[in-house]
Amino acid sequence: MMKWTLFTPELYYVAVASVFFVCSLEKKADPRRLYRWAVILAGIGLAVTVACTRMEGFLFFDSYKVDLFSQVFKVFLALGMFFVVMVCSELYGIEPRKHGEFYFLLSICTLAMMMLVSAVELLTIYIALELSSYSLYLLVPMRHRADEYVETGIKYFMVGATASALMIFGMSYLFGITHTTYVADIIQKLPDVLGQPAALVGLLLALAGFFFKQALFPFHIWAPDVYQGAANQVTTYIATASKMAAAAMVIRFVGMSTGQSEVFIQILVVLSILSMTFGNLVAIVQKDIKRLLAYSSIAHAGYMLIGILCMTQRGYSSAVYYALAYLVMNFACFMVIIKVAPDGHNLQIKELAGLHKRSPLLAMTLMLALFGLAGIPPTLGFTGKFLVFAAALEKGYLLLVIIGMINATISLYYYLIVIKAAYLLEPVREYAPVRVDAWTRVMSAVLVIVMVYVGIFPDRFVALAEATVAVLP
Amino acid sequence: MLMTAMEFAQFPVLSAILFSTLLALLVILFIPDDRPHLVKQVSLGFAALGLALSLYVYVAFDPQKGGLQFVERVLWVKSLGIYYFLAADGINVPMILLTAVVLFTGVLTMWELEKRVKEYFALTYLLVAGVYGVFMSMDLFFIFVWYDVSLFPMYPLIAIWGSTRKEYGAMKLTLYLLAGSALILPGILYLWAVAGGTTFDLFELQRLGFDVQVQRIAFVMLYLGFGILAGVWPFHTWSPVGHVAAPTAVSMIHAGVLMKLGAYGILRVGMTLCPEGLVYWADLMALLATIGIVYGAFVGLAQTDLKYVIGYSSVSHMGIVGLGLATMTVDGINGAVFQMFSHGIMTALFFSAVGYIYDKTHTKMIPELGGLSKTMPKASAFFILAAFCGIGVPCMSSFWAELLVFISAVKTYPVRGILAVSGLVVSALFMLRVVQKTFYGDKNPKWEHIPDVPLFLASPRIILVGILIFFGLFPRLILDIIQSAVVPFVNSL
Repeated sequence: MMKWTLFTPELYYVAVASVFFVCSLEKKADPRRLYRWAVILAGIGLAVTVACTRMEGFLFFDSYKVDLFSQVFKVFLALGMFFVVMVCSELYGIEPRKHGEFYFLLSICTLAMMMLVSAVELLTIYIALELSSYSLYLLVPMRHRADEYVETGIKYFMVGATASALMIFGMSYLFGITHTTYVADIIQKLPDVLGQPAALVGLLLALAGFFFKQALFPFHIWAPDVYQGAANQVTTYIATASKMAAAAMVIRFVGMSTGQSEVFIQILVVLSILSMTFGNLVAIVQKDIKRLLAYSSIAHAGYMLIGILCMTQRGYSSAVYYALAYLVMNFACFMVIIKVAPDGHNLQIKELAGLHKRSPLLAMTLMLALFGLAGIPPTLGFTGKFLVFAAALEKGYLLLVIIGMINATISLYYYLIVIKAAYLLEPVREYAPVRVDAWTRVMSAVLVIVMVYVGIFPDRFVALAEATVAVLP
Repeated sequence: MLMTAMEFAQFPVLSAILFSTLLALLVILFIPDDRPHLVKQVSLGFAALGLALSLYVYVAFDPQKGGLQFVERVLWVKSLGIYYFLAADGINVPMILLTAVVLFTGVLTMWELEKRVKEYFALTYLLVAGVYGVFMSMDLFFIFVWYDVSLFPMYPLIAIWGSTRKEYGAMKLTLYLLAGSALILPGILYLWAVAGGTTFDLFELQRLGFDVQVQRIAFVMLYLGFGILAGVWPFHTWSPVGHVAAPTAVSMIHAGVLMKLGAYGILRVGMTLCPEGLVYWADLMALLATIGIVYGAFVGLAQTDLKYVIGYSSVSHMGIVGLGLATMTVDGINGAVFQMFSHGIMTALFFSAVGYIYDKTHTKMIPELGGLSKTMPKASAFFILAAFCGIGVPCMSSFWAELLVFISAVKTYPVRGILAVSGLVVSALFMLRVVQKTFYGDKNPKWEHIPDVPLFLASPRIILVGILIFFGLFPRLILDIIQSAVVPFVNSL
């Protein structure tokens, strides 16, 4: 029975989901009360996952592995959920009577992703991924005036279903070739047979499902529409927590090839270059800030892939660090968006005009987060890019790094446009005043301090990232 | 040169300079918005402190002993081999002094600023912290970090407080310079990875040494990357546009100090780690530098905007620095470093002088001015003195610098050397033409009522002129220091 303690974080989120399921049955739940409960439960959830970081072991006939890698990613996921719940105080993008369901689906989705990062067996992985996807399929169209955004939901579902189909198809190839669904066994058998096209195709197709979650080119088509169409809080969740789980799984699957196949690496290199370049170039012309961040997320998936495709310990650890940095910076951006657009509408870049006067603290948070995303020191985004590029150069990918850096320069252009709006432009009309409560102040201050502190003193976090990937086979 | 992980020989004066600027930034951020005067006083106080400490470094630096002095070295990130490693040698001591002088005079020059005062000075201090950091760091990681820190405040500084197509100028400048760092970072990481991925310490890397092929690849990346900031032709186009758009003191810091970061980076990182690469690419460097000198002078001839004139003269003068570095001789590099110092002071003086004229007349177009020496003789005198210095009149510090560079250039690259000297003649022509049109000739009655510059506002210019003449009369005082680093460096080539 002791084994079940390994499953504590997941069980906790099952319980949270049940609580909100009951709440969603209630006809007139008070949104304020739900919000308070959600914050408390998500906070406890974070504490529970942090407390479980040192656990190790196997569950369910070895298809479920609990180790430092999975537990650290669970902390990231719990952190992501906590972040999102924190900014739900003005959840006006979603009808009040649906708030219970919103929190319910959010908990289920987090639970599913936690299972995903621990799953080491193909079918378990598939089921966990589908569970998280279905919760998101429901969360995305759950918005005020849903008929306007119904296209978004359908698009997301169609693309997602296609990616899942590709993925299960690829998994069937992997199973056919290696006669096993256990990742640990596949790793032993796959390198020998990776010369066969079927194995390579199988692995790439299996990756498709996670590339879809990560919004890597060419699986990115959903991202801009979903970012724009979903309620701001849901977008925040997709942009932060959901990306974490995908990054973890890409690391796990790419690791299966153990760097044996040149062709496989070259395909990943091409995908990463296309993803960075496409994302950055299209982001330049965006007017809606959520769309802009969607395209920038496509580019960031490319940067992260650079670290992963090195297939070295340092490469994986740099990707883990990058993922964490991305979580924090992206959340900071979305927090500002949500606070500047409290009624939940889609924020245009020009609406940020004069933010430095309307709320200096939010303006500064936004500026630091965007500089971090652009990779300007001394922010943790810079350290992330630095580690990724360092890992790539250790493998001798000089050209790839130069392309990556040129992309970082391009990206600075559109981040600067947003910063310019916040700091230089005068508002053309009176915008609703930005209400910044004490809670938001604290969060902004914490985010700013974290972004700069970790940027300047990365030592311990680099060490943590390295310890995290050391347990990977 | 074996060092323990932590080594503090004495009072960490370099850290004190660096962190006093960051402290100034923090203090300024916490001053209430409605006390702009206090902001200025605090800024001036910290600038004076920095100046005093840099003067101490300059005086206490022992040129007989040479080598690295005031060393501070702490392990920062273990797994990558990053060190917080500050030190002063003959090359960066003049640069630190230059930065402190330009900051101090820059703060004085902006004394009459009224728009968003607090943010202006906070950003200036951030910029200067980056500049100090690059000059003092001996660790590639930190050199890059500080380099980037010094670049991005330029965007708001120009876009908010600038003039003449400021947003265009700011964006162009930022993107150009970051494109430069897009080459520097891979270059640095490439060297680090080839050396085994264990240390970013400049001198440890130097000791480990690199293959000829690696050096050639890395050097050209570092040269182009840093060269963009140094205004190397044909990557100079951001610089006149940026100078024109920037407010006075930002132009001073920018042309006076920031462009030197580029040349300094080439020398400190590129040439130190890739001497073979330098040998391979020196021809190209000398060629681009010569084109820069001649091109800058000719384009300067055609300008009607005072700031554009100075902008192009900077391109020309930075070409002299590049030419000096490319000679790979003691005299050439001595001259190049000295030229970095004296051009920094001179350009600061130029922009400071133009700043006053622009503040009062609201124009910097040469045809609209004219005869200014009659209405404001003192303000005009500063500009004319700077122009003399730019031409290389004896008794001014750049005379010595240019002399050293040109002598060794003519020896090493006869044709290009002579072409470069002829470029200097053209630049003399355009400087004198500008002086003649702006300050002599018929008075423009529109400017008759303008008062001459009062003593307090003139003080920054007096300091700068004093430094130019002082080192013009006693060049040994700075050349000895520079030489203490350059001689061992050239011998090791």
